[in-house]
Amino acid sequence: MSTILEQKCPCCGGAVEFDVGAQRLKCPFCDTEFDITAMPEDTSNQVEQINWNSQGAQWGAGETDGMSVYACNSCGGEIVADQTTGATSCPYCGNQVVMKGQFSGALKPDLVIPFKLDKKAAKEALKKHISTKKFVPKSFLADNRLEEIKGVYVPHWLFTCDAIGNANYKAKKVKTWSDENYEYTETSYFDVYRSGNIGFDNIPVDGSTKMPDDLMESVEPFDLSQVVDFNTAYLAGYLADKYDVTAEESMPRANERIRQSIIDSFRETVKGYDEVENQGANMNVANGIYKYALYPVWLLNTKWNGENFTFAMNGQTGKFVGNIPTDKKAVTKASLLLGAGIGAVIYGIMWLIELL
Amino acid sequence: MIKKIFAVIIAALICASFVFSASAYTQEYVIDYADKLSSSEIEELDALAEKLEAAYGVTVLFCITEGTGDVTADEFSSGTYGDYTDNENGIIIVHDDWNKAYFTFISGNADKYFSDAAVDSMIDAYDTNESYYGGIYACYELAEEYLENGYSGGYVNDGEPVYAGEADEPKTENEKDGVSIIWLPVSLLIGLLVGFLIINGIASKNKSVKMQENATVYTRPGSMVITGSADNFLYNNVERREKPKQAEKK
Repeated sequence: MSTILEQKCPCCGGAVEFDVGAQRLKCPFCDTEFDITAMPEDTSNQVEQINWNSQGAQWGAGETDGMSVYACNSCGGEIVADQTTGATSCPYCGNQVVMKGQFSGALKPDLVIPFKLDKKAAKEALKKHISTKKFVPKSFLADNRLEEIKGVYVPHWLFTCDAIGNANYKAKKVKTWSDENYEYTETSYFDVYRSGNIGFDNIPVDGSTKMPDDLMESVEPFDLSQVVDFNTAYLAGYLADKYDVTAEESMPRANERIRQSIIDSFRETVKGYDEVENQGANMNVANGIYKYALYPVWLLNTKWNGENFTFAMNGQTGKFVGNIPTDKKAVTKASLLLGAGIGAVIYGIMWLIELL
Repeated sequence: MIKKIFAVIIAALICASFVFSASAYTQEYVIDYADKLSSSEIEELDALAEKLEAAYGVTVLFCITEGTGDVTADEFSSGTYGDYTDNENGIIIVHDDWNKAYFTFISGNADKYFSDAAVDSMIDAYDTNESYYGGIYACYELAEEYLENGYSGGYVNDGEPVYAGEADEPKTENEKDGVSIIWLPVSLLIGLLVGFLIINGIASKNKSVKMQENATVYTRPGSMVITGSADNFLYNNVERREKPKQAEKK
């Protein structure tokens, strides 16, 4: 069991929330605003956790694994969450609560990027995202309903390092010429080698197994110039998870991206060839450090035809991603129509050329 | 009384002589300044030309001469045409036997029947024949064919129209056939392939969730330093391909 923290308004005692417009804490009851730094990290009026025991059947062995139970400071209601939940809301009174133990000691994030965009912006972005896509089933546009929208601080590991690497490429130069009777093609092959150093700053790797990695990487990049030191007050009004993927477990993904960056960056220095093919790369990492950060992401869930669709919006930059179903019949019809049109134009051009 | 009867007879004779002279007048269609044809040949050919004129309203004259005198070829041909017919629709082909040259003059709507190609064909038919008579006869036969087909709107010579301005030059085999219909399904197939690629390219934008390929966006600005670089030549090969011949292109 952990203790939970509520950010209370000093004026009226109501639960305050982080206001993205003002970038300050705001009491929704008396509209009083506070600086983040004005709020204490740990207050003395914390209510101790309360054990809630079932009066009926007891939890079986292993049934409560991965589950934590908290008591709401305001109403005393029971808040059941998984072990990685760091911030949520009370299902009874709606008060925003932060599981203090999830972000204390060694688990305390180094950095946080506060939300810059609110729920309304996320809804509008979803609407725009869907409306600008082609070949979306009409029933999806008509029946698709937003089931859930939540602002989540997603745990990320940020890797900074100097990469020392080398890459090999197979390159080709093609030269053609002709005389009266023949056309000649000379192909020259080269082995190209490049080595060097590249510095990387804050490569993010999703530290939560609950969040799909492809979804989190799709909303990148975040603007680290707006990052601030972690303060639990930023979590007020949002959900947050603590990491359940360690930095060590996240390193292979960071290394994979670094390796590909070395290949791609060194490739740009291989010039003067007609074709360049990557043959592999080696790398070592020096001066590597990592940080623990929370990134703001709006998650939107919709349901259509019994299938769930998850969309994500970068809570800082507004970049919106999410796969939308495609109407295969419409695609086939459009392909045939366009294809027939192009075919007719090609045939018409052949006639014109013939006539001219 | 006798004087009156005599006067009536004289008047009747004068009128009859006018009628006779009018009915005895025959149009000349073949003008033989060079004396290459006999009178019977000329009569036969005139009869042929007269038949054409009666049937189609177009006069076809043929003139054989030895030189054009002091006038130009154009003046000679147009002048001769005007001298021998009042029909505004007609053609004259002049053969200058001395200079081995041919001139033509086409008047009125005769150009609807006799294109340049048609006139060339008629001259060829005349020129390749061994006798003058045979040549002119062949020429009139062709003229009848062109007049008939032009008159009825039909076609001759492998489907080619002979109207003036429409068949100035013999067309090539490709021009006659146009683009083969076999290219239509080929064009459609190419179109469908291109259409499929375009539409699927648009539809693929509905998928926006994917893993990042690299971390290039997190590269520290100006941090890349190349410390080693080598471009080693391995080998080369030369391929020679024969150029397609011009005929093969067609």
